[in-house]
Amino acid sequence: MSKTILCLCHDVTAEDVRRAVAEGYTHPETIKRYTSAFMGPCQGRWCADLVMEAIAEELGRPVSELQPTSGRPPAYPVRMGPLAGRPSDESE
Amino acid sequence: MAVPGVTHHPLRSRYEVVIAGGGIQGIALAYELALMGVRDIAVVEARWPGAGGTGRNGEMIRSAFASEEWARLFDFSLRRWGELSAELDFNTLFTTAGYVVVATTADEVAMLRDQLPVHDRLGVRSEWLDAADLQELLPAAAPDLLTGGVLQPHAGFAHHDATLWAYARAASRRGVEIHAQAPVEAVDVADGRVRGVIVRGQRISTPVVVNATGAFAREVAAMAGVELPTQRYLLEMIVTESLKPFLRPAVASLALMSYCHQTSRGEFVGGTEFKAANAYDDVVVTLEALRDIASKFVQLFPRIAGACLIRHWSGLVDKSPDLSPVLGPSPDVEGFFLDAGWTYGFMGAPGSARLLARWIVDGQPDPVIAPFGFERFASGKLISEAATVVPTEEAVEETQRDRA
Ligand SMILES: Cc1cc2nc3c(=O)[nH]c(=O)nc-3n(C[C@H](O)[C@H](O)[C@H](O)COP(=O)(O)OP(=O)(O)OC[C@H]3O[C@@H](n4cnc5c(N)ncnc54)[C@H](O)[C@@H]3O)c2cc1C
Ligand code: FES
Repeated sequence: MSKTILCLCHDVTAEDVRRAVAEGYTHPETIKRYTSAFMGPCQGRWCADLVMEAIAEELGRPVSELQPTSGRPPAYPVRMGPLAGRPSDESE
Repeated sequence: MAVPGVTHHPLRSRYEVVIAGGGIQGIALAYELALMGVRDIAVVEARWPGAGGTGRNGEMIRSAFASEEWARLFDFSLRRWGELSAELDFNTLFTTAGYVVVATTADEVAMLRDQLPVHDRLGVRSEWLDAADLQELLPAAAPDLLTGGVLQPHAGFAHHDATLWAYARAASRRGVEIHAQAPVEAVDVADGRVRGVIVRGQRISTPVVVNATGAFAREVAAMAGVELPTQRYLLEMIVTESLKPFLRPAVASLALMSYCHQTSRGEFVGGTEFKAANAYDDVVVTLEALRDIASKFVQLFPRIAGACLIRHWSGLVDKSPDLSPVLGPSPDVEGFFLDAGWTYGFMGAPGSARLLARWIVDGQPDPVIAPFGFERFASGKLISEAATVVPTEEAVEETQRDRA
């Protein structure tokens, strides 16, 4: 069977979403935690629409009825150094 | 709803045991009770299993604590951790990458060193590392912070959600009903005995109620007329993008009041506790904590200054006056049990769940769990555990005074 990758950061496929729902993870928040979709460096910016559509299809409900996963700050990745009041090029 | 093991059936009108709270404590307890042959157990969870501290914690596991009480309880739990994946037929991702508690100042070194004879006496496996050993174990850490430390090579971390799901599925296979979106709204007590609970307006009769509601334990205890001296407390954590492996064991630093580990995917996960007034009793995140976390971890591991932080979140724990869990029967109300006051309730769950289940069934505590009973607040026999990275009430009050 060919693979349809939905989440590029964590290689989550359409089949992974199908299996998650079949196992009983039926909420975007728990599917996120089970498959780790949305949790890569892009924080779902790239995959959220695709994954939500796949979940909706598995559950047989429109995307608009799904409760989205809880977003976490920061809105964009930030480097630790500046947050710590130090330059970020201290690394090695 | 939402995770394996959650039932779709409506609540029944009677159970033998009702456990309020579907966190790791409540669900593991339900599993252990079912294993002992107790039937008609319901877990009623206000939101969904894992919505509380369980799905938000640092996942770190150890048993090298300073007090005999903690070392015993958590060592029993650590042994259970090693059995869980096979027993529950679900990979908890428990990883024995080691757990090291690091001391920087002379006082911290003395405090940590004092543990070793206790560990020896109790058969808790731990070893002393000097500065050179620590530098070898933690090559990426700033050497000036590494004076000495206690290592448990067989401790480490596990996946919080996976562990909860493992217990939930195993419990439901043994007949436990796990109900989501089912908050306990009232506890029915008459003549000093629990008679039932009200959930979503529905009355359920039961002779045994266990309060495992995490940060809400004080309120739920009050519903039964039990005054539980615990307090909600906010903890915050961050995770970075995946980094080249640079850190094998889990690390807690006493000087920085911080704990962290690197996941198998390479993400660096860490949190700190700072002596700040904790004015929040909801899951918010604060810039103050973010700065504290970033500056302490950049100090500990200078190389992560260039790493991108991708998520920052928080969770609530239930803090008791001696920072130790409050377990067992409650005074005055027969049938109302406590599984509360947890700040290290993830690592402690596999052990405490088994011992609390026995206490509920046999009516007698095992010596390992007995010191954590409620009576200690009346008798004044509080537990003195020094090797946590949780600020005491006095420390918090001191900072509040300093700020005022
Ligand atoms: C950021 C952070 C990091 C941590 N790091 C670690 C660590 O590294 N190692 C460790 O061992 N511990 C750690 N902890 C602590 C650990 O997460 C908690 O001690 C543990 O999750 C407690 O489990 P619990 O089941 O008692 O509570 P919770 O997981 O909070 O579960 C309680 C449940 O009760 C439900 N509830 C509330 N009110 C009601 C009601 N009226 N009726 C029904 N249900 C109700 C809630 O929705 C919740 O799901 C950390 C905690 C946080 C927040
Ligand atoms: S593509 Fe899914 S998190 Fe980045």
